Amino acid sequence: MSRRVVEIAGRRLSVSNLEKDLYPSYGFTKAHILEYYRRIATFIMPHLKGRALTLKRYPEGVDKPYFFEKRCPSHRPAWAKTMEVRRDDGERMTVCLVNDLETLIWVENLASLELHVPLARAGSPETPDSMVFDLDPGDGANILDCARVALILRDLLTELRLSGYVKTSGKKGLHVYVPLNRKETTFEDTKRFSKAVAEIMQKNYPNLVTARMAKEYRKAKVFINWAQNDSSKTMICVYSLRAREKPIVSFPLAWKELENLSKQGDPEKLQVMHSEAVDRAEKQDDLFREVIVKKQKLPYL
Amino acid sequence: MKTRAEGPVPWKSSSGKGNEPALQGIWSGTISFSLVAIPVQLAKAVEPGRVSFRMLHSKDYSPLARRMFCPEEETTVPPDEIIRGYEIGPDKYIVITDEELESVSPERSRTIEIVEFIDMKEVDPVYYDHPYYLVPSKGGEKAYQLLVEVMRRTDKAGLAKFVMGEREYLVAVKSTEGVLALITLHYIAEILPYEGISPKDRKIDAEEKNRIKKSIKNMMADFSPEKYADGRRKKIMDLLKKKAKEKAPVEAPQVEEEEGEGPADLVAALKASMRKVKKR
Repeated sequence: MSRRVVEIAGRRLSVSNLEKDLYPSYGFTKAHILEYYRRIATFIMPHLKGRALTLKRYPEGVDKPYFFEKRCPSHRPAWAKTMEVRRDDGERMTVCLVNDLETLIWVENLASLELHVPLARAGSPETPDSMVFDLDPGDGANILDCARVALILRDLLTELRLSGYVKTSGKKGLHVYVPLNRKETTFEDTKRFSKAVAEIMQKNYPNLVTARMAKEYRKAKVFINWAQNDSSKTMICVYSLRAREKPIVSFPLAWKELENLSKQGDPEKLQVMHSEAVDRAEKQDDLFREVIVKKQKLPYL
Repeated sequence: MKTRAEGPVPWKSSSGKGNEPALQGIWSGTISFSLVAIPVQLAKAVEPGRVSFRMLHSKDYSPLARRMFCPEEETTVPPDEIIRGYEIGPDKYIVITDEELESVSPERSRTIEIVEFIDMKEVDPVYYDHPYYLVPSKGGEKAYQLLVEVMRRTDKAGLAKFVMGEREYLVAVKSTEGVLALITLHYIAEILPYEGISPKDRKIDAEEKNRIKKSIKNMMADFSPEKYADGRRKKIMDLLKKKAKEKAPVEAPQVEEEEGEGPADLVAALKASMRKVKKR
């Protein structure tokens, strides 16, 4: 095992196995991963800040076993920011907060390729900052079907005077976020609202949409997973890498762009690779900034 | 540290062995004494073979969750309303905060500092708490090997203190099967008294004593743990396998699937909006 000590913001951090290829069928090493996160840091950090990180670690690469870690590893550096939270069963748990670049690099050194965060901040775990529609294509459906659903969803939200923002999941689906950022909002609100929306979508587009989780209803349809609006759930963070064959990123898209891509009809074109992600983010800035800033109130509740 | 794989893992614990080395380090640091410092990781040495079951609701097979319940208000208590109290008498508690507990917790430390060496034979097993393996980290292999060898030859163990989580442990570092093991020990205050257990009448008949001695001698064997296995565990696993073959497993409902209409105003607004969307 090779080790190197790097210095970030005056803090020394030992990184290991830089040459290890964690995306073997594509060729993307630990060094590439650290470099990706270093370059995307400006854009991803605001979305990680203050949230209890769930690490999804792939120590042997994306084609080998992985594991989730909700607790912050006990062998963390002394400067790593943590917070004590209570789980549903009342037990206490220490979680990592990725509030600075050095912590981001440290968790990446643990091969936590995927960064998952809750919709609420650790300090106010029952207050979601946004409502999410997790669009998940069943067998026989693909990301283009998700795009159709997302565009209808956008129009429906517009009618309700709500702005939504869309990103690729980096796998097969799309995620539509509705920023709220009000301390009065509860997960009960976002769950009731998103469930009602999912059901009306299902009623009006029965061949395209299902609001039911059971596998038999999902064939060739897009499942609108409204149940993600829960304090115990996490979503893949925008700009996080995904553990697939290639280093593809969960990346925000402009609605206009999604319309165009939807017309072109090539599902592969919706996916954003690591290098493109950095270039595009630097050019267009953070298309997801409003998600953590914009204040909106869910009407009719 | 808890690790969990995503999704259902069929027969996740049915190999009946569970003997794959769990070399996932749960702590890393150094063993040190005089001028020696050996970088190591701590790994689990045992995995209790208990078969665990999920509690399900018999009506619909939903897995049940534990909730903190307040019998006074007959309601579930949310996490932010739960605090700690030390019971000093019936219905009397001293309340203690997280910060107060934190203030008396030991400093986190990265060393297993051996303070003295002892003869392992002197440690009664009643002191043994939990065993771990120590795995050498990069650069520590040589010193590790040396310590294993020296301690094996002498049956000595290093007595050390070390901090993991919020606790300070008293531990014995000893050589086992060519590796270093770390055994957390109970503090003496945790050992319950044995006075009063042995019978008052201490007269021993010499003939009886000889007879017992002889029986023991006849039954002497080398300790070979592989001769024994947890029979109940095996039977449960066989039973589960048989049942899985005969009948598909029951499935928990994924979420509340009832076609709840949702708040009336919202549903009306959504219907009106949907009509407009479809006209576009």
